[in-house]
Amino acid sequence: MDTPQATVTLDTSGKCCPMPMVETNKAIKALAVGDVLEIIATDVATLKDIPSWCERTGQTLLSSSEHDQTLKFYVRKNR
Amino acid sequence: MKTLAIVVTNDAFDKILTPLGIAYLMAAEDVQVDMLFVNWAVTALKTGGASNLHIDGRHAEDEEKMRAGMAKAGLPTDMYELIKALKGTGCVNMYACSMAAAIFGVDETNLIPEAEGIVGLAWFLNEKADKADHYQYF
Repeated sequence: MDTPQATVTLDTSGKCCPMPMVETNKAIKALAVGDVLEIIATDVATLKDIPSWCERTGQTLLSSSEHDQTLKFYVRKNR
Repeated sequence: MKTLAIVVTNDAFDKILTPLGIAYLMAAEDVQVDMLFVNWAVTALKTGGASNLHIDGRHAEDEEKMRAGMAKAGLPTDMYELIKALKGTGCVNMYACSMAAAIFGVDETNLIPEAEGIVGLAWFLNEKADKADHYQYF
């Protein structure tokens, strides 16, 4: 599967709950519908937080991956 | 969840972090958060109060370690900075309990500008806590 093209990248590396989700919420609000937010995280809590947040807020989680303890999420803004 | 009410009782640096952190997280999701600061926690809404909070008791000697951990996590290490960030979300209202304010010397002259005012417990419990989707007590 191709890596989605990110409109904006949010790097939360080193930060932990609640900051990755606080910053993700801020970042998505600054985007237009259809834009893709790439989120980089090292907090394992984001593994559950981000998919749950996407479902709750109506965004689409396009893909997620983990490499060398770094997590990447691609989220398309729907509203 | 659209609304959250939180009662905060403790002004220890470590104990107040959790309710403030939860409020920050929920406000980021546009949840309307109403917080009532009772007992010693009301001093966090007094001018200069939040910046001077410390860890009490058996964990007191770990305060520097905790502040370093918070900085690494991306959180402000000064509770007043966190209170200002809460206010800046536009989704958090912070109220001082009138009884606690009277006991601990908080009034309109020394209340921080981020606080909405001094209110009664009955008003908060009936108008905010009872009507909120979720209610927490710390």
